[in-house]
Amino acid sequence: MLQEKYKTEIDEILSRYPVRRSAMLPLLTMAQREEGYVSEAAMKEIASILRVTPPQVYETVTFYTMLNLKPIGTFHIQVCKSLMCALVGSDSLLVWLQARLGIKPGETTPDRLFTLSTVECLASCGTGPMMQVNDDYYERLTEEKVDRILADLKRDGTSPLKSGPFILPEPEGAHG
Amino acid sequence: MVKLTIDGVPITAPKGTLVIEAARQAGIMIPHFCYHPKLKWDANCRMCLVEIERVPKLQTSCSTPVAEGMVVRTATTAVTQAHKSVLEFILANHPLDCPVCDQGGRCDLQDFSHEYTPTTSRFIEVKRIFPKEYFSALIETQMNRCVQCLRCVRYCDEVMDVKALAPAGRGTMTEIKHFTHHELDCEFCGGCVQICPVGAITSRLSMYEYRPWMLKRADTICTYCGDGCQITIQTKENKLIEVNTAHGAGRNNGDLCARGFFGYHASTHPDRLQHPLVRRNGELVQATWEEALGFVAETCIRLKMEHGAEAFAGLIASRCTNEDLYVFQKFMRLAIGTNRIDSSARYGQINGVRALRRVQGTHRWAVTFEDIVAADALLLVGTNITETNPITGLKVKEAVKKRTATLLTVDALVPAVGTISNIANLAAHHFPVHPDRFGHVVLGLIKAVVEDGLVDQALAHRAPAYVQAIGDAVQALSWPALESATGTTSGALREAARIFARAARGVVLVGQGVLRSPGGYGLTTNLLDLLLLTGQHGRPGCGLAPLAEENNDQGAVEMGTVAEYLPGPCDLNDPTARERIAGLWKEELPKGPGRTLTETLEEARTGKVKAMFVVGENPVGSLPHAARAKDALAQLELLVCQELFLTETAALAHVVLPACSYAEKDGSFTNTEGLVQPVRRAIEPIGESRPDWEILSALSVLMGYPIEYGDAKEILKEIRSLIPGYGLLGAGPNPPRPDEAVVSRYLREGYAEDLANRYAATQPTEKRTGHFTLLVTQSLFHSGKFSTRSTGLLEIQNTGVLGLNPADAARLGVTDGDRVRVSNTLGELTAPIKLLERIPEGLAVFPEHFDEEARRLLGVSTDPQTRVPYCKSAQVVIEKL
Amino acid sequence: MPSYEPILTKNMLTPGYTGSLVDYERAGGYQALRKVLGKIAPDDVTAMVIKSGLRGRGGAGFPTGVKWGFLPKDYTGPRYLCCNADESEPGTFKDRQLIERDPHQMLEGMAITCYAIGAETAYIYIRGEFVLGAKILEKALAEARAAGYIGRNILGTGINIEMWLHRGAGAYICGEETALLESLEGKRGLPRVKPPFPATHGLYNKPTVVNNVETLANLPYIVNRGPEWFASIGSPPKSTGTRIFCVSGHVKRPGNYEVPMGITCRELIFEHAGGMRSDKPLKAIIPGGASAAFFTDQHLDVKLDFESVAQAGSMLGSGGVTIMEEGTSMVWAALRLMEFFYHESCGKCTPCREGTSWLVQTMRRIWTRRGRLEDLETLTDLCQNIAGRTVCAFGDAAIAPITSTLKHWRHEYEELIRTAEAAGSAELVMPATRH
Ligand SMILES: Cc1cc2nc3c(=O)[nH]c(=O)nc-3n(C[C@H](O)[C@H](O)[C@H](O)COP(=O)(O)O)c2cc1C
Ligand code: SF4
Ligand code: FES
Repeated sequence: MLQEKYKTEIDEILSRYPVRRSAMLPLLTMAQREEGYVSEAAMKEIASILRVTPPQVYETVTFYTMLNLKPIGTFHIQVCKSLMCALVGSDSLLVWLQARLGIKPGETTPDRLFTLSTVECLASCGTGPMMQVNDDYYERLTEEKVDRILADLKRDGTSPLKSGPFILPEPEGAHG
Repeated sequence: MVKLTIDGVPITAPKGTLVIEAARQAGIMIPHFCYHPKLKWDANCRMCLVEIERVPKLQTSCSTPVAEGMVVRTATTAVTQAHKSVLEFILANHPLDCPVCDQGGRCDLQDFSHEYTPTTSRFIEVKRIFPKEYFSALIETQMNRCVQCLRCVRYCDEVMDVKALAPAGRGTMTEIKHFTHHELDCEFCGGCVQICPVGAITSRLSMYEYRPWMLKRADTICTYCGDGCQITIQTKENKLIEVNTAHGAGRNNGDLCARGFFGYHASTHPDRLQHPLVRRNGELVQATWEEALGFVAETCIRLKMEHGAEAFAGLIASRCTNEDLYVFQKFMRLAIGTNRIDSSARYGQINGVRALRRVQGTHRWAVTFEDIVAADALLLVGTNITETNPITGLKVKEAVKKRTATLLTVDALVPAVGTISNIANLAAHHFPVHPDRFGHVVLGLIKAVVEDGLVDQALAHRAPAYVQAIGDAVQALSWPALESATGTTSGALREAARIFARAARGVVLVGQGVLRSPGGYGLTTNLLDLLLLTGQHGRPGCGLAPLAEENNDQGAVEMGTVAEYLPGPCDLNDPTARERIAGLWKEELPKGPGRTLTETLEEARTGKVKAMFVVGENPVGSLPHAARAKDALAQLELLVCQELFLTETAALAHVVLPACSYAEKDGSFTNTEGLVQPVRRAIEPIGESRPDWEILSALSVLMGYPIEYGDAKEILKEIRSLIPGYGLLGAGPNPPRPDEAVVSRYLREGYAEDLANRYAATQPTEKRTGHFTLLVTQSLFHSGKFSTRSTGLLEIQNTGVLGLNPADAARLGVTDGDRVRVSNTLGELTAPIKLLERIPEGLAVFPEHFDEEARRLLGVSTDPQTRVPYCKSAQVVIEKL
Repeated sequence: MPSYEPILTKNMLTPGYTGSLVDYERAGGYQALRKVLGKIAPDDVTAMVIKSGLRGRGGAGFPTGVKWGFLPKDYTGPRYLCCNADESEPGTFKDRQLIERDPHQMLEGMAITCYAIGAETAYIYIRGEFVLGAKILEKALAEARAAGYIGRNILGTGINIEMWLHRGAGAYICGEETALLESLEGKRGLPRVKPPFPATHGLYNKPTVVNNVETLANLPYIVNRGPEWFASIGSPPKSTGTRIFCVSGHVKRPGNYEVPMGITCRELIFEHAGGMRSDKPLKAIIPGGASAAFFTDQHLDVKLDFESVAQAGSMLGSGGVTIMEEGTSMVWAALRLMEFFYHESCGKCTPCREGTSWLVQTMRRIWTRRGRLEDLETLTDLCQNIAGRTVCAFGDAAIAPITSTLKHWRHEYEELIRTAEAAGSAELVMPATRH
C-alpha cells in the first residue's frame, strides 16, 4: 500500500536516519495524510518497514495527539483552549462553533465534513482565539470570521483567511 | 570495589552496582515497583527514593550506581515521607480490590502499603477506570490495578525480544495492551504475569482459585524440553493450581516459556490411566496390579524359555527420570537378559553425542549456558531455537542484546519481525537455506576458513595432515556450486567465517534441523571440524552444543538406554566397563547386541523379536506411517506399555501399566548442558499409577531377579557408584574438558574414515516446480508427549495449521484460514493455512503435534552410522481446495 | 517606546523582507558561517559562545557554550545536533515567528553549532502542528543545500553537515530534550532519567546537543559581531543579549518583543505591548510561560532577566509573558493551566502522572463550587510531594500555577469554597474526564 505508492519517498525518509525506527513519525504522518487516520493495516505495514512489531507502532500512535486511530471528518477543527486563548475568548468561540456545527468536541458532523476537537496551546497565544483546521491556522477569530471560514471550507475546501508566515505585532506598513 | 555506607552499615560493592542492589545485599530492602534486577532500570515509579549525603534532592536508588565514600540513608523522615507520598499517589487510582485479586498475599503494593500504613486516603475524587477489554484466553489484565511500572513491557522487549505489549495512551490513561483491540498474540511465556508487581496481569488458568498462603509448593524441573527449567508447582488438595519460578532460580533464572508456564495441567488430565489394563478377548480391560504384573511376569518367563532373551526388546522415553531409565536398562539387561534397548534419544540426540564422543571424547557439552551468554560469536545451525529450546534461546538473546555478541544463523526460516521472537532477526549474518543444505553453508564456512588463512596456527602445527586433508577436501568444492546451493555469496560466507574465527569465544549451537535430518551426524562432526580449524575448540568457554529436544535425552544416553551404550555412557562392548558394571551388579551382562529403534521394529516385523517393553514411548504415534511401526508391534506376542495415557502404541498393548507423571514422583533429569537436577513430587499419584522404576522393580521381583530400591535416592546412589560424581551437583554444570587423547586420535586418523562423505557437496535434489518442501517441526506451544493434553496450551494452539509464505499463498490463491490439500505419492491431507513472513518461499511448515495426517506423507531414511531415523520432511504438492 | 536595536527580528522587521535565501544573504546572512568554517578552530567557536554569555532560550537557561563543552573530546563516533523547535509551552510563540519569517538565520546558527561540536548531522524537531513552518523550513533547507551551505563539503571546506526536518505529532513533553530524543528515535516521548546527559548519551546514545531555535539564531551575530558585543547587551554578566518576549493576554498589543534582557515587566507591558487592553488594572503576570509561577502587580518592576525573575520567585523560562487583568479568577487560571499539564503529563513517573490527575480534579471541584477547606491543605501537600521527585522538570512546572496562586490569591480559593459550603454541595464529586 504505502510502499507501493510512495516507495521513493519512504526510501528517502529512511535514508535520513541511521536507525530505521526513527522514521516512525514521518511514516505515520504519511499514513494519516493518505487515509485521514492511521489504520491497522498502515500500522502493520509501517511495523514491517521499520522492522518493529505492530504493538510498537501502536503504542507510539497512542502517545501523540495528532495521530488518529479512527476516521475523522474532512475538516478537523481544533480549538485551542489553553489559558492564553481562554483569556481572550476561546470558550465563547467554542460555544459558537458547537452551535454552528451542531456537535460537541470529539464529535463529527453526520455529513462527515467536520470534526471538532479542543487542543492545548498551538503557539498562537498573541493571536487568540484561534483554531487549526487540518494544516492551517486561523487566528484572531470572531464569530463572523468563523462563519466565513466554515462557508469557505464547505465551498472551496480552504479559506483565504488562514494565516500566512507569522509575525506579531505586524510591522507598520507591512502586510503578511 | 567501591566502599560506601547505607544506613550506617559499611558496604563494599563492585563498581557499577546500583544502590538498591547494594542495600539488598546488606539486608536493607528499599521499596520499589519498577526496578527489577533483570531489566535495565527505568526509575519511573519513584518509590525507591533515598537520601544521599551532599546531594540536594532525594535520588532513586534503582538508577544510582554506588560511589566511593557515598553515604546513603534509606530511613530518614524525609525518605519515609517520600515513600509514603509515592504510595499515596499510586493508591489514589488503585481500586483496592485486594479481596478479589489473585496477587493478594504476594503483592508488592499490598506489602508496602502495610509497611507505610498510610492513613485513610485523602483521594476523594473518582478513580480512573479502564473499560474492560478481553486480553487473551490465558492472560488476564486488570488495568485498574496497574501501577504503570512497565516491567511487563520491558521484560517482553529486553528479555524475550517479543515486543508484544504496548503501553497505549499517555498519562494516567496509559494501559497495557497488545495491538489495538486484538487479543494478545505472543509467545505466552508468562513473563509479564510473573514480573508484574501487583495484580494487573494474572494467569487465567488459576484465576480466583487460591490465595498464595493456601498453596503447597514443590520445586521441580519442567519436562517440555531439554533446557531443564526449574519450576515451582503450586498445588491445593492434590490439584495443580499454578506454576511459577523465581528470579535467580534454576538454569532458567526465573524465565519460562509457554509450555513451562501454562502447560502444567497435562498431569491431571481426565484421560490419565488410573488402573492397569490387560487384554482379554481382544479388549483392554481393567485389572489389578497383581493380575497385570503377574500376567506380564508369567508371559515373559514363558517367552524367554521358548525363544530366549534375544526375543525381547525395550524402548523407553527420554522424558523419564534418570532413575526410571537406569532401572529400565538394568531390568532389561538382568531380568530379561538383552541389550536390545533404545530410547527416544535415538531420534536425534544420539547424533550430537556420537559426534562429541568421536571428536572430543565427551558425551556432554564442554560449554554451559553461561558460556553462551559470554560468547563473542555464536553460530546457530538448524534451529529456530525459541521454538525448540526457548530458554537456551534466551541465553542467546541475552548474549546478543545485552553483551553484543555477534550472532550467525543458518536456518530455513528467514528474518521477519513478529510478536513471536525470531532468532534470525538478531543475527549479524543469517544464511537462509533450504533445510537439506545447512551442510553446504558449513562447508562454505570451512572453505573460507581454509582459504582465508583463518586456520589456527597451533592446530596447523599439531595436525598438519588433518588440516591438509580438510583443506584438500574443501578446495575440491567450487564456490559457484556452493553459492548456488546456498543462495548466498562467498563474500558473506567469508565474512561470517572471519567473525567466527576471530572471536575471542565462539560457541556453536546445533539444533533439531540438523540432528534430526539426513546427514545430521556427519554435519555435526563437520561443525566440530570448524571449531577445531578456527582454534575455537578446547578453549574455555568455546565448543559445540547440540540442543536436546526431550527433557532427559541426555540422561537417556548417560543411563545407557540406547543401543550402543551401557550406563556412563560406556560402549556396549567396552570390556573394562562391562567388567566394572558386572562387578557392581554382581551379575554378568548379556552378550547380545544392542538394537536401535528402527532395527527393533524391523525385528518385530520379521518375528525375531517377540516381546517388547515400551515405557512412555509411542512409536506408532511418532513415526510416519512409512515406518510401519503399527504392523511391527501388532506381530508381538507380548507388548507391555507403561504409560500415562492410552496412546496409539498403548492401544496395541497386551498390558498397559499406569505410570506416574513427573509431578508425582521424585528423581532427577539431566538437562541439555549436562546438569543433573532434582525432580520433586508435587502431587500424590493419580489413580493407581506408580513410578516407572517401581513398576519395573516389582516385575523384576516376580521374575526372580529382584532389582529393588527403597526410593529414588537409593537408585541415584547406585548410579553414582557406577558413574562417579553423578548426582545433584549444585547450581550449574561443571562441563567436561575435551579429552586430548581422543582429540589427537581424531586429528590423526579418526577424521578420515568418512571424510569423503562429509565433505562432498552433494548435488541437492533440484526442486520440482510447483513442489513444496513440507517440514514437520516442533512448535513453541507444543513439545514432548503431553502438551496436547494441557488445557492451557490447547487454548493457544489446538489444530494443525500449515504455515506458508505469503507470496506462495498468493500464487496458490489462498489466504489466512483457507484450506489446502497437501499431497504426494504417499498420501494427502487437508489443512487450514496461516501466512507467515518468516517461512521462506517453497517451504510449508506443519506442527508435529498435530501431524496425525501429515505423517502419511513422510518417508523414513536411516543414518548409516548412527541409525537415527530421519522423517521430518517430504516433497509435496499443495493445492487450493 | 524606547528604541532598542533588535538582533533576531531585525531582518524580518525590514519592509519587504521575505526570509528567502536571497534576502537573508543580502542582509549579511551566512557570512558568519564563512567566517568560522575551517578558519576558526571548533573549540574556539565554543569558547566564543561561552564568552558571549549566551544562555539557552528554551526554558532552562543553561549557558550554551558550556553545554557544548560537555561533549566528550576524544569520542570519534557520530555526534548530533537537535534543534528544539517543539515550541509548545503555553504563552510562547517566538520560535514560530523565527522559523516562518527568517528560517536561514536559525539554519546558519545550526551549521555553526554543528561545526563547533563536530556534528555531521542535525535534526530540527518541529512540533507537528507547525505545518506552515515545516514547509518554510523545507524550502529553506533546499535553498541552503543548493547554495552549498549545508550538505557535503560545505563551501569547499571538506566539512559535511546534513540537516533534516523531523516533525512531531502532538505532545508537549517532546519539548523536553530527552523526550525529544526518544521521539526522534521513533518511540513514545518519555523523558529519560539523567544522568547520563545528552552530551554523552543523546540521540542513538551518541553525544548530542539540543538547543532551542532562538538560542541557535543568536549564533551568527555572536560570530559576526563578537562575543564582547553580545555580552554588553542586556544585564551582564549573567543575562546577556536580547530576549524575545511573547506577550499575550489582556494587553493592547500582544506580540513578540525583542528587547535586551533586564527591562522591567512594566516597560515590556506598558511601553511595548501597549498596556492593558481595557481600563481594568493589571492583576497577574506569568513571566516565563505556563511553567512559571505567577507574579502579581507588585512584581511590575522586576527586571526580566534570569536572576531577577528567579529571585522574585518565578522563572524566565521560555519568554512567554501573559498578562491578566483585574476580574480574572486566579483559581480558574490555575485550573486552565493544570488541565494543560494533566493532559500533557507523559505518565512516566508516579508523582507527576497521579499528581496532575489528582490536582486537576480537586481544582475542578473547587472551581465548580464543590470544594472543601481541607482541599487547600491537600493541594499544597500534593504539590510538595511532586516537587523534586520526578524524572523531568515537568513535575516542578506543573505545580507552579497552583503553588503561586495559592500563595498570592488564597482568598479566592477560600471564597469559592465558602460559596460551596453555603450551598451544601461540598460532598459532590465529579468524574475525571479527559475531554
Ligand atoms: C516539560 C518541558 C518542556 C520543554 N519544552 C521546550 C520547548 O518546547 N522548546 C524548547 O526549546 N525547550 C523546551 N524545553 C527545554 C528543553 O528541555 C531544553 O532545555 C532546551 O531545548 C535546551 O535548549 P537551550 O539550551 O537552547 O534552551 C522543555 C523542557 C521541559 C522540562
Ligand atoms: S515529570 Fe511528568 S512529564 Fe516528566 S517524565 Fe515524569 S511523568 Fe513524564
Ligand atoms: S524502583 Fe526506582 S524508580 Fe521505581
